[in-house]
Amino acid sequence: MAITRAKRNGKKLQPHLGSGRFYFALGVLALVFSSLVARAAYIQVIEPERLIVEGDRRSLRADSTMVQRGSIMDRNGRELAISVPVETVWADPQRVHEGNGLLNRERWLALAEVFRVDVNSLLSKVDDPQRRFVYLERKVTPAVAEFVRQLNIPGVNLKTESRRFYPAGEISAHVVGFTDIDGRGIEGLEAIYDAMLTGTPGERVYRKDAKGRVVEEISVTEAQQPKQLTLSIDQRLQSLAYAELKKAVRYHQATSGSAVILDIKTGEILAMVNSPSYNPNNRTDLQAHRLRNRAITDAYEPGSTMKPLAVVAGLEAGVIKPGDMIDTSPGWMRLGGRRVSDPQNRGLLSISEVLETSSNMGSAKIALAAGVDNVMKTYAALGLGNDTGSALLGESFGVLQDRRRWSDFEIATLSFGYGLSVTTLQLAQAYAIIGNNGVRVPLTIQRREGEPAGQQVISAETAQAVLGMLENTVLEGGAKRARVRGYRVAGKTGTSRKAIAGGYGDEYVTLFAGVAPVSDPRLSIVITINEPSGDDYYGGDVSAPVFAEVMGDALRLLNVTPDNLEDTQLRVAGFGGPSD
Amino acid sequence: MQTSEERQRNRWLQRLRLDGPLLCGLLALAAISAVTVFSASGQDWAMTERQLIRIGLAFVVMLAVAQVPLDTIQRFSLPIFSAGVVLLLGVLLFGESSKGAQRWLNLGIVTIQPSELMKLAVPMAIAWFISQQPLPARKRRLAAAFLLLMIPTLMIANQPDLGTSLLIASSGIFVVFLAGISWRLIAFFAVLVGSFVPILWSFLMRDYQRQRVLTFLDPERDPLGAGYQIIQSKIAIGSGGIEGKGWLQGTQSQLEFLPERHTDFIFSVYSEEFGLLGVILLLVVYGFVVVRGMQIAMRAQRVYQKLLAGSLTLTFFIYVLVNIGMVSGLLPVVGVPLPLISYGGTSMVTLMAGFGLLMAIATNKRLVMHS
Repeated sequence: MAITRAKRNGKKLQPHLGSGRFYFALGVLALVFSSLVARAAYIQVIEPERLIVEGDRRSLRADSTMVQRGSIMDRNGRELAISVPVETVWADPQRVHEGNGLLNRERWLALAEVFRVDVNSLLSKVDDPQRRFVYLERKVTPAVAEFVRQLNIPGVNLKTESRRFYPAGEISAHVVGFTDIDGRGIEGLEAIYDAMLTGTPGERVYRKDAKGRVVEEISVTEAQQPKQLTLSIDQRLQSLAYAELKKAVRYHQATSGSAVILDIKTGEILAMVNSPSYNPNNRTDLQAHRLRNRAITDAYEPGSTMKPLAVVAGLEAGVIKPGDMIDTSPGWMRLGGRRVSDPQNRGLLSISEVLETSSNMGSAKIALAAGVDNVMKTYAALGLGNDTGSALLGESFGVLQDRRRWSDFEIATLSFGYGLSVTTLQLAQAYAIIGNNGVRVPLTIQRREGEPAGQQVISAETAQAVLGMLENTVLEGGAKRARVRGYRVAGKTGTSRKAIAGGYGDEYVTLFAGVAPVSDPRLSIVITINEPSGDDYYGGDVSAPVFAEVMGDALRLLNVTPDNLEDTQLRVAGFGGPSD
Repeated sequence: MQTSEERQRNRWLQRLRLDGPLLCGLLALAAISAVTVFSASGQDWAMTERQLIRIGLAFVVMLAVAQVPLDTIQRFSLPIFSAGVVLLLGVLLFGESSKGAQRWLNLGIVTIQPSELMKLAVPMAIAWFISQQPLPARKRRLAAAFLLLMIPTLMIANQPDLGTSLLIASSGIFVVFLAGISWRLIAFFAVLVGSFVPILWSFLMRDYQRQRVLTFLDPERDPLGAGYQIIQSKIAIGSGGIEGKGWLQGTQSQLEFLPERHTDFIFSVYSEEFGLLGVILLLVVYGFVVVRGMQIAMRAQRVYQKLLAGSLTLTFFIYVLVNIGMVSGLLPVVGVPLPLISYGGTSMVTLMAGFGLLMAIATNKRLVMHS
């Protein structure tokens, strides 16, 4: 009604202004209002889940509390790997640009100088003002950190990280391994026990406002402190073994060398060293071959060090008895067209003399008499061709073939250590079993409390008999240089040609494996020297002296009671033996 | 026809030259403003108090404008417009810059923003100009009206204040549209404007304005920079849901993630805390005010009054549309406050002066009838 009146009045006063346009405008208004409501409804009813998540993403924050990586200790608590807090220099390019940090070129020059980098490459890192974080130099020394702090360039900051430090350096590098720059273990025990050493950082979830003030705490998870790792390694034995090994490798111009010391009773690995090694604290220019923990990764044909195991096989199979004599004349024999020989005709030998003279003929005959099944069974029982239980990274099982048909020649070669391959650690384990009255205990790299339950894999009598023969080998045979003053030592040398494509080459691996003291064996030690290129290449000349040094020092360090007092001379200054 | 009781009740309103329904709508908006500003300011009593004082002042201005006889207003339309143009010229020559734009003129005693004055002067002048001749207006007059309109529009766009210049241009265009310009001409101008857009983009728009348009098209393009506001705003609105988080409970706004939350983006605060239901309520109030304004326009007796009331109402509605469209991501970000709700004085006073004109038009007719 009101409208009609307005219309009438309008017509009277001013013709030609209808309400059509007004109604049209009202119609458009109604449409637009509904579209605004629809828009709000869309955002608030259809989309809210995503937007609520986005809202939380803006206000919810999670902080983690850093935990220091756990340290690695040797069995006596000496630190092999520790984490120390260090500072890292980083930049916020946006802040750098906002604070006109680039105007101070002298300061950047100073910064580039302490980092020993080109100033332009440093500046290019902070070039992009969109970025908010870039590392300039990680893990700097405290002096450099202080210098950076005093330079006070806008947008350049320090943050605390932790740096892994290895006090034992190259001596234990292979066992301990190392971490990458972000603190993740990537080699050795650092890699295997990474989760345990890392722990779980704590987390705090809270709501904060746009200015960063905490307004609500939502949840707190306590940090789980990482555990320490205590190794079976004895760093003192480790150092002396490494020193002797390194000396020998250098003296004989060998490619590499490994040494392993086992605690016979507990199965603990007391020392495991390799040469060449590397400095885990400074890995620039590191050659990959130096990283190899050869004591477990490299398997060799063990040569004559297998002969005692062949004797064990014969004794266990009952085909020979400790007092038996074996005829090795004429010093050679033909097996299926291939020749097995000794350097000379040694005639009739006792079993012990077979080992003392390292007679191929003798061991071959024993193995052939025992049969391949018994030989393989014994080798496997002594841990060859299988893992040692140490669970170390990159451990090789060696090669112990499992096949039905063996030629006599192949059986013969098995007895003197060809046609199979073993690692230094496996060999040390096999000798440890012989020294432990035939009881096999699983090896470990972690410190063990008490003696673990072992498994009788060969009879105690056999073990005792072979141990005695090995003592004779050191006393009378080719391993005289392995003798240790004050202790009765049992051991066996080994020299094997290295297999190359199509046969055997001119390079040798020289080994010595032995246990001591014989009256109650404590340590099993294997020394492997790979490819000596000096005049000596027999195990008795290359590896045995290293063995003697390491074994003697180790026994004395461990306060093992000497069991060979006749040999011990009371030496007083000026009244010593002939060498003094 | 109104009943006698209603007239009785409305007599004191009549004497104050106020329109009851429109006043109710405005008071409702003022109440919503006070409540929301308190929340959006981070529960700052001082700010809320200032806003309440401003609202009171704006109502006084409205009341004062409503008392001016319409004939006087009509007669002074062109002089006010001319004075405004002179002031804009003054801004161009002696204006004060702030935040990269030259919008203020220091007159010695007070600093004024002539573009605010033009928001009223332009519809007044165009309405006056068109109502000088019997309708429908001739093409020549329409062209002249457009020229008249372009003077302040371009001057304000040059300050630069694109948002205000577009609003002022649209207030003039509304007058022309309501005056009954033929659809054919409208189509012609639409094509003209359409072809003007590329020129606008490449020659007239500043970098930050282009940025705004690009950001509008895809706010996620630059979530930390230009798109930040709109993303935060949408999150605030959306996380309110249907019923809202409750007054003073919005995390986006209370935790200060929303930029400009008590001025241009106050709608986001409101929607986060009051939800879809609150938004519908607010839009109903706005709709009521706008419909009442259109009703006043249609009931007015003179062409000048009709055109002025219609243009003022539609421009007010454009404010609402542009602001809500902006914060909800329908339109690009232009610095237009939510009318009568946002914190801030100048635009509220101008708007309420406009409503004073509407009140004058609404009550003028009755006086005529009674006399």
